[in-house]
Amino acid sequence: MKTFRRASFLLVLALALAGVAAAQQKVVNTADLGLQPGQRGGTITLPLNDAPPSFFYYAVIDTNIDLLANQMFDTLVEFNLDTYKLEPGLATSWDVSADGTVYTFHLRKGVTWSDGQPFTAADVVFTLDQVVSNPQVKAGDAAQFTFNVGGESKHATFEAVDPQTVKITLPVPSAAFLLNLRSFYIVPKHKLEQYSVEGGGQPADLNKAWPTNGPLTDVVGTGPYVLASYTPGQKVVLERNPDYWKVDQNGTQLPYADELDYLVVKGTQAQTAQFLAGNLDELNISGSQFPDFKSREVAGAPFKVASSPALFGSPPHLAFNFDAKDPALASVFSQVAFRRAMEYAVDRQRVIDDVYNGLAQIPGTPTAPADGTFYVDTTSQMHMFDLEKAKAGLDALGIKDTDGNGVRNLPDGGKDLEFTLTYSADSQTDTDIATILQNDFGQVGVKVDLQGIQGSSLFSTALGGDFQSIIVAFGNQPDPELRKPIWQPGGSLYYWHRATQPANPGGQPTFDAMAPWEKTIYDIFDQGSKLADQAKRVQLYGQWQRLNAENDPVIMIAKPQNIAAVYDRIGNFIYSLGVIPGYNPVPLYYVSK
Amino acid sequence: MIPFAAKRLLVMLPTLFLVSIACFVVITMQPGSFTDKYLSDPRMGPAAVAQIKAQLGLDRPAYQQYLRWVGGIVTRGDFGYSFFAGQPVSEVVGQKLVWTLVVAGVTMLFSWLVAVPLGILTAIRRNGLTDFVASFIGYIGLAVPDFLVALLLVALVLSFGGTNVGGLFSPAYIGTSWSWARLADLLDHLWIPVLAIGTAGTASIMRQMRANLLDVLNADYVRTARAKGLRERRVINRHAVRTAINPLISMAGLSLPELINGTIIASIVLNLPTIGPLLYDSLLAKDQYVAMTLLLLASALLMVGNLLADLTLAWTDPRIRYE
Repeated sequence: MKTFRRASFLLVLALALAGVAAAQQKVVNTADLGLQPGQRGGTITLPLNDAPPSFFYYAVIDTNIDLLANQMFDTLVEFNLDTYKLEPGLATSWDVSADGTVYTFHLRKGVTWSDGQPFTAADVVFTLDQVVSNPQVKAGDAAQFTFNVGGESKHATFEAVDPQTVKITLPVPSAAFLLNLRSFYIVPKHKLEQYSVEGGGQPADLNKAWPTNGPLTDVVGTGPYVLASYTPGQKVVLERNPDYWKVDQNGTQLPYADELDYLVVKGTQAQTAQFLAGNLDELNISGSQFPDFKSREVAGAPFKVASSPALFGSPPHLAFNFDAKDPALASVFSQVAFRRAMEYAVDRQRVIDDVYNGLAQIPGTPTAPADGTFYVDTTSQMHMFDLEKAKAGLDALGIKDTDGNGVRNLPDGGKDLEFTLTYSADSQTDTDIATILQNDFGQVGVKVDLQGIQGSSLFSTALGGDFQSIIVAFGNQPDPELRKPIWQPGGSLYYWHRATQPANPGGQPTFDAMAPWEKTIYDIFDQGSKLADQAKRVQLYGQWQRLNAENDPVIMIAKPQNIAAVYDRIGNFIYSLGVIPGYNPVPLYYVSK
Repeated sequence: MIPFAAKRLLVMLPTLFLVSIACFVVITMQPGSFTDKYLSDPRMGPAAVAQIKAQLGLDRPAYQQYLRWVGGIVTRGDFGYSFFAGQPVSEVVGQKLVWTLVVAGVTMLFSWLVAVPLGILTAIRRNGLTDFVASFIGYIGLAVPDFLVALLLVALVLSFGGTNVGGLFSPAYIGTSWSWARLADLLDHLWIPVLAIGTAGTASIMRQMRANLLDVLNADYVRTARAKGLRERRVINRHAVRTAINPLISMAGLSLPELINGTIIASIVLNLPTIGPLLYDSLLAKDQYVAMTLLLLASALLMVGNLLADLTLAWTDPRIRYE
């Protein structure tokens, strides 16, 4: 049996310091994170884009409850705030069996729910078994625990060995299993059992738990903050959990701030005004807003604009529809040589400079350059902006201007090479990128008609295959396995080549439709999810990124940076995209006196 | 008058029924569905999305969805369920109703209190300096969209170091109990939406009032009144204004649905907790029962407003008789 005794030195230190609180503490050394010990007290006000539809994280898919849940609940494992490596959360350590199928988690002792009830293994088993694995629970994730073993669907089993130990048995080893656990907030069995199947409810009943108009005292967690009050549609107030189990290296209990106020402010304009008025302490902004904020900072405003390379966040890409309804276009779009030629006409540097004001970088294909584990620098394989090469590439395909109207014609005297480029018209960034692409493609004799559509229907348009070319952005995650449905040919989100998708939902993908390189990528993902050896996985996914750079399933455009504006009165600010489960720097923020 | 009102109310029912069908058809004919936004979430497979659709009843044929919704209204007064908020529509709308009425009521009051006297004044002093200045401002008020006025006011307040930009309260006063300080804070925030939303209305009512009064001032009975030797004040107030104000009462009735859909963009820009942004969001997110309920409410308000206007007219103007 292979044993990981993680952070045991921290535990020793914690036990030494555990004088006041009964809980087994976790020490967060601010110095390791480049921060300083903070001061207790004060209120921090942050924005919410909209009112949360429920206070139960698993009942709704919604970024606003994601933000709140991150403060009210904990996960078994969590990200290191600096390195994104997994470290102990509610589980202090874990053992993995040699074959990689049995995980034994040792839980933190003495942790209590905010209503005083003890936190035990029963809560963990309840959460994973009754909530996350229940396919009727909207924001559950039953698929994470369901494995395809020889064509048969098998489910992981969960067992409370004793009040401090949980054993999870997987039917097959799973590479991303531990990483996935950091997104499952552990919720209290004693408050939610009545809604579960185990407690006699209907499968969908859990979606009704903890409504925003119900009693707030039912919403109990183990997290750094506790729900204190809610003014519908306007404000959520969280108060610090006096029994929280994290301390800084001086033994000061976290979180530092006494109160977190989340103001519901919809829309960029209103949020900007509220921030500038000082009613919000922090605001995530985009590259296009940067000059305005930075010039105010330089002019002496009491806030700073911070930017940093991003791991999470969504890099936009350009996709051509391999299965376009127009057969002439479909045959051109599915040729690697065509997409390469078009990639030569994508001026990434201009997008970075003009659209993002320099606050973006050349993207990975598609892994984020900030990803220290899986990123492979494929810049040399990418086809960087060169209009002459673009023209030569199109010439070589026989796509030439045969009728002398300035627009190239499809091979063999076909019609003009003209197609629509669909993008989200709500997004200024995407609109600007689309205009730059239209202009540069025009330079090489390819006519692009812009088609801005509502941002909310962009995904459904893409997935429905109702486009010729499109600008879409998918978020990066710290492990390619987590984005498998997007990048594995035949996956449910592999929208640019829908012919590869299974003929019957849930069945085998259509391998006949795949190009050889697509089949290779398919196999890489298939292997990658079964391998437990991290070094081999890194190698496999490196091969995938190089295949992407060469074959351009989509053309990655730019990877935007994280940018935030934060008032000087807030100390220890660490950027958080806002919706990253298992990554919560907020308890370290403090209000300087 | 009561039989008349009852008759009018009865006629409203089939109209509302037709309106509800029209709204439903328009909303369901839009491409996409409420669950589309889930598709990009890593937690969501197509199977999970299908399951949510089934929970929400979106997998049924459109006519069944419609009949269930109307059936709920008729039999239980249940206006359906908000997919987004996970609450009954009546509750979602109810949460916003109070502040919507406050903002709209104060704005209307402001518009009328400013516009009617100004209209009278500019009509009496036609082509004078007051008329010129008020008309000039009025034209600008009509020409500039309300959200732009809102943005300008916000920028102005920010440049003077103010913090009352958007919302109805400072963060510290949201959700606290009433006190004089809280009322002062509310008033400190309320003037921006009232000015932004009310400007256009004020200008239009003022122009109407001015035009109506000018018409009436040339009428024979005004000359007669003057010839009788009445004082000018009495001529204007008792004889001219009473007639000239009638068309404005009809206008007020027609403006009732603006409570819901008149000020959407300004309310979004100013982050007001009112119904306008709710309608906008529900239409974008295809939260169909919220959108339909609000559209239905707007048309009901239009009809009720019309009826109220007619009744008020009959009351203020004895010449009008309904039998």
